[in-house]
Amino acid sequence: MKKTVDVSIPLGPVHPCWKEPVRLKCETAGERVLRTEVELGYMKKGIERIMRGRPWQEVMFLAERVCGICSVIHNMVFIEAMEEISDIAVPPRAAYLRVVANELDRIASHILANFSYCYTIEHETLAMYLLNTRETVLDNLERLTGSRINTAYMIPGGVRFDLLPEDAAAMLADLSKVEEEMQRHTRIFETGPLIALRSKGIGVMNHEEAIRSHTVGPTARASGVVCDLRLRHPTYRELGFTQVTRTEGDNFARVMVRFQEVFQSIDLIRKCIETLPDGPVRGGGFCKAGETSYAGEAPRGELTYSIKTDDYGRVVDIAIRTPSIMNIEACVHAMIPDATSIADVTATFISSDPCVACNER
Amino acid sequence: MRNILQKIKNAVRSRSIHVSYVDVGSCNGCDIEVLACLAPRYDIEQYGIYVHNNPREADVLLVIGSVTPQWVDKLRDIWEKIPEPKVAVAIGNCPISGCVYNRRGTLTTPPVENYIPIAASVPGCPPRPTEILSAILSVAPLIFKDYEENQK
Repeated sequence: MKKTVDVSIPLGPVHPCWKEPVRLKCETAGERVLRTEVELGYMKKGIERIMRGRPWQEVMFLAERVCGICSVIHNMVFIEAMEEISDIAVPPRAAYLRVVANELDRIASHILANFSYCYTIEHETLAMYLLNTRETVLDNLERLTGSRINTAYMIPGGVRFDLLPEDAAAMLADLSKVEEEMQRHTRIFETGPLIALRSKGIGVMNHEEAIRSHTVGPTARASGVVCDLRLRHPTYRELGFTQVTRTEGDNFARVMVRFQEVFQSIDLIRKCIETLPDGPVRGGGFCKAGETSYAGEAPRGELTYSIKTDDYGRVVDIAIRTPSIMNIEACVHAMIPDATSIADVTATFISSDPCVACNER
Repeated sequence: MRNILQKIKNAVRSRSIHVSYVDVGSCNGCDIEVLACLAPRYDIEQYGIYVHNNPREADVLLVIGSVTPQWVDKLRDIWEKIPEPKVAVAIGNCPISGCVYNRRGTLTTPPVENYIPIAASVPGCPPRPTEILSAILSVAPLIFKDYEENQK
């Protein structure tokens, strides 16, 4: 075989830029990256194997621990799948509080993703600003659910705790502070010549490639693809949700989509708290036998749970499809090769917001 | 003479702790709590702790997660690459007991103590950043103080 590759550069599994172990093998000719291969499997814990045969009360806590960054949406999708199987109705107040918890989690996740990107391109100042803003968001998540990361807030037929009026007022005050700070950070990122120029036109994935590689979430929305499952969720439709789309498809667009979605989430939470219906937050109900496949929009894209339960509410069979696996493959096959140099591989990879713990479970 | 050298080393080491973290199969929750320590609110660097992911210049290794099959040999390799004096701190329930993953059907093989020596552990799922911070600050001086003299 003719030798076309100069050097094959391995990145990872322990790498200063990765937060989780993953290995990228880049085949290079000079500075140009010809081909990239991703090697997963460092985090395979076998959660789906543990889940089988267990009652939903246990699977609920396991489902959150699929991913620590977006634990609220894993909880929400699993619980809503169980509700769909068992025909349990959710009180309107609980449905709105679910949106509040979910959007707070989404803000925290998006800020963390943008922090990782800024940290990777070595703009530590903006990264630290973002991380500090994230703490304020986590405070509010703790105020609502009682925990910072693994919240276990939603249960079939409602949520665990009500939102007290004084907490709601404090949350609104904190959110205006977060909004103000995020406007400043977005301006720093958007107009700063060093950061924006470092990100524009790098790792471009156009519309066709995004559709062909089945990307989801902010990565797809940055390439102009219409895909947001919140458009189909009943509570979000009541709140008048519209999706954020950009058309550039480069690193800059992916980070900007996340910045814009933070503002959108803040607006959604405000709207939820202002129009919060009165009534109970726990309706109750029994989990029954059945089979369903339910999808929700995680911070990284579409998250699907296929569940089969028996008469006692035990999970007989479960399959989870997480969003990052699509984005990592798209990143490796469409964004990194040809267009970018070896210096941009880490930034491009991080810009697609890979979550390895989700992927491998 | 040796005593003075040891005193200088003690003074320097107490304000310069380099931390490396390795995720051997967790849910990311403890990962991001370690990252949150970097935030100006907790400000890990005011205590002279620097977080970067290079085992070759680290003093403290934070181990996160229950051990997955891929990491069984690699974790030992990483531990051997860290220069002496070194200390490993287990963050979260996973390295201690396996937390929710230590059930029938799992692929993980906790605890981490079977593979590398653990000096301190911070239980919690996940622990708060302040707890992680105080664990590093309290265990590191115990190991590093008078290290050369104790070796004799």
